[in-house]
Amino acid sequence: MRRTIVIAACAALGLTAGGCSGTGDASGGSSCDGKIDGKRTISTFYHGGGEEKKTFLNVVDSFNKSQDQVTVKVQSVPEGTYNDSVQAASASDKLPDVLDFDGPNLYNYAWNGDLIPLDDCINVRTQAELLPSITQQGTYDEKLYGVGAFDSGVVLYAYKSALKKVGARVPTGVDDAWTAAEFTDTLGKLKKAGYERPLDMHMWYGRQGEWFSYAFSPIVQSAGGDLIDRDGYRSAAGALDKPEVVKAMKTFQSWYTKKYVNTEAQDDTPFLKKQSPIAWNGMWAYKNGYKKAAGDDLAVIPLPDFGTGSKTGMGSWQFGITRKAEDPDAAAAFLEYLLTKKSQLSMYDAVGAPPSTERALKETDIYAPDGPMSLVTDSLNQAPDVAVPRPQTPAYPTITQAFSQAVDDISLGKDVPGALKKAVDTIDQDIKDNDGYPVQ
Amino acid sequence: MSHTTLDKPAPAPPSAPVARRRAVSGASSRGRVVAILFSAPALALLAVFLIFPFVSAIVLSFTNQRLASPLPVEFTGLENYQRIFTDGQFWRSFGNNTLFAAIVVPVQTAAALALAVLVNRQLRMRLFFRTVYFLPTVTVMAVASVVWKVLLLPDSGLVNGVLGTLSFGNLQPGWLSSTSWAMPAIVLTSVWQGVGFQMVIFLAGLQAIPASLYEAARVDGANAWQQFRHVTLPGLRNTLVFVINVTAIFAFRLFDQVYLMPQFPGGPTDATRTMMLQLLQTGYTRRMIGQASAIAVVFFLFVLAVTLVQRRLGREERTVR
Repeated sequence: MRRTIVIAACAALGLTAGGCSGTGDASGGSSCDGKIDGKRTISTFYHGGGEEKKTFLNVVDSFNKSQDQVTVKVQSVPEGTYNDSVQAASASDKLPDVLDFDGPNLYNYAWNGDLIPLDDCINVRTQAELLPSITQQGTYDEKLYGVGAFDSGVVLYAYKSALKKVGARVPTGVDDAWTAAEFTDTLGKLKKAGYERPLDMHMWYGRQGEWFSYAFSPIVQSAGGDLIDRDGYRSAAGALDKPEVVKAMKTFQSWYTKKYVNTEAQDDTPFLKKQSPIAWNGMWAYKNGYKKAAGDDLAVIPLPDFGTGSKTGMGSWQFGITRKAEDPDAAAAFLEYLLTKKSQLSMYDAVGAPPSTERALKETDIYAPDGPMSLVTDSLNQAPDVAVPRPQTPAYPTITQAFSQAVDDISLGKDVPGALKKAVDTIDQDIKDNDGYPVQ
Repeated sequence: MSHTTLDKPAPAPPSAPVARRRAVSGASSRGRVVAILFSAPALALLAVFLIFPFVSAIVLSFTNQRLASPLPVEFTGLENYQRIFTDGQFWRSFGNNTLFAAIVVPVQTAAALALAVLVNRQLRMRLFFRTVYFLPTVTVMAVASVVWKVLLLPDSGLVNGVLGTLSFGNLQPGWLSSTSWAMPAIVLTSVWQGVGFQMVIFLAGLQAIPASLYEAARVDGANAWQQFRHVTLPGLRNTLVFVINVTAIFAFRLFDQVYLMPQFPGGPTDATRTMMLQLLQTGYTRRMIGQASAIAVVFFLFVLAVTLVQRRLGREERTVR
């Protein structure tokens, strides 16, 4: 009996180890040779829903109709646990041909061998047209692994009239952003003026996706810290648990303990109905109702300065080609199509995101210089000093999970240094467990 | 075909005991083959989906197997277990599981028994009530969770609306966003969804109690409570043991509700984190299959221990009778 168990155990291990080595020799994925072999049907994962997805499906549809060699099939995956799904698909060898992913997860997928380099796949001219911030975020180990159709940014939206009522000034650019103390003070005055919960932090975007890391790591960076020490990406200690970061996160926590933040919001109603006159939100909100609700009363303001200048998030969903693509050229043709001006502008119309090429960007009315959302474009142009890319390391999935947990704990009143310490420990443990993520 | 079924071995004449014994032993060995053949599909499925994954989990729990990684798998001995047992979050989830079971098992069993007794009476529309009480069980837990999440919304939810009216606005818990109310919210949802199933089992048990026992009790002058205490309960003892066992096992498997209902799975601040959630997040979100396997093994041993203790207690009750 005992021998049977041992044999079964070895068989079990043998099989799983075999599965593992299967994902290991990922570099074996095919590469681009510049031509599509016959007719191809390729699959792609897609996150999200709503208007964004509808438009994406329209773009896919028009791509399928525009030529008769490649047909794209879309498989929807829920955004909240998107990374889990990709990791599981990778482990079970069920990756689609084309993968979309929230920017910084790219480094893990590339390190894992799930993605193939795009340098030979995407037209050199198309690559040259992409904004530097996009190519920089799509690059791991000096190779291009992902291209995005748009970039992004986080801002504060406010009703000018509400600010005027409490005598707060309206910053116009990154250089005269509110200080953290000024911002806290304004929130207090607004509360006194009758706004029960003056700030909507959009906690309801879900704590599982990227929102917490994307929107709140600028606080850490503005305080002079970071999610990880970017020199070698070996440890978060000394970066995320700095005294300055602790202080900034305590300020962040005070907005919750003083009941300034609308924590029970389930949608955008608080800002749209002016119950919460300030919203901490992404650039997509402008075209998604904010402008319509507030009209000329809408102010677009940089995030508060916690010590070293106002910072903001950047990066967005990108597309890459996986090792499972039999004919990467077919997948590349689809990516090229996504990057055409026409596709970019239709995504811009739906999502209101800044397109990733200068050519398309020029034709948008809100991101052009002097446009109402030019703050986002300015911040992106000053990356990484104002718009800060999320850490470019294969440890990113762990970093974002650990930081989101810390933000959640802090917002619920947990001890700030303790929450940050826990995140640092989780991140450092993960890096150690993966032998420091050696470049493969 | 009908011809072969008639082709049964004729019963041996009683005057030939030796021949008969041989026939019996032949039949029993043939019976064994048939038994194995018949159980083979089930055994094969059990082996593939239960025994094999379980053995594999045990083996993996001694390695640093990752979900997807180019790094080689290494044998790490007991490190995964050591990490689990020194992890505050694991103990927190263990505590939550225990707390949940400690509340849900008695509450749900008692509620199910009460409902079963209720719908077993000669009420008008009792079929209607039976159906209504059983309906939530037919609902998928995920759906029930989402529905209750909406019902429990602090400002616009139905539950707080009713509570507000009853308490003149004094009792308005934040439910899922409050560390002290989140677990009660989960308990409420779980009991609501699960109670119908136990009710049906109790109902079957109740109907197996002969009416004559109640008649005799009434003749002896027993009132309703005495009848319940001395006829119904002893008659339901075996059902009760079974229901408690099953409810306890379900309670330890708590996952859907704590994953879907709080804004952050297991939140707020780990107030509803359970072992199953810990297992999933370790294996998938943190991509450490080895350590997740160790959690699975610990979880299995724990549930096994609880079940064994319960069975022992249940059996003792029976011997007392």
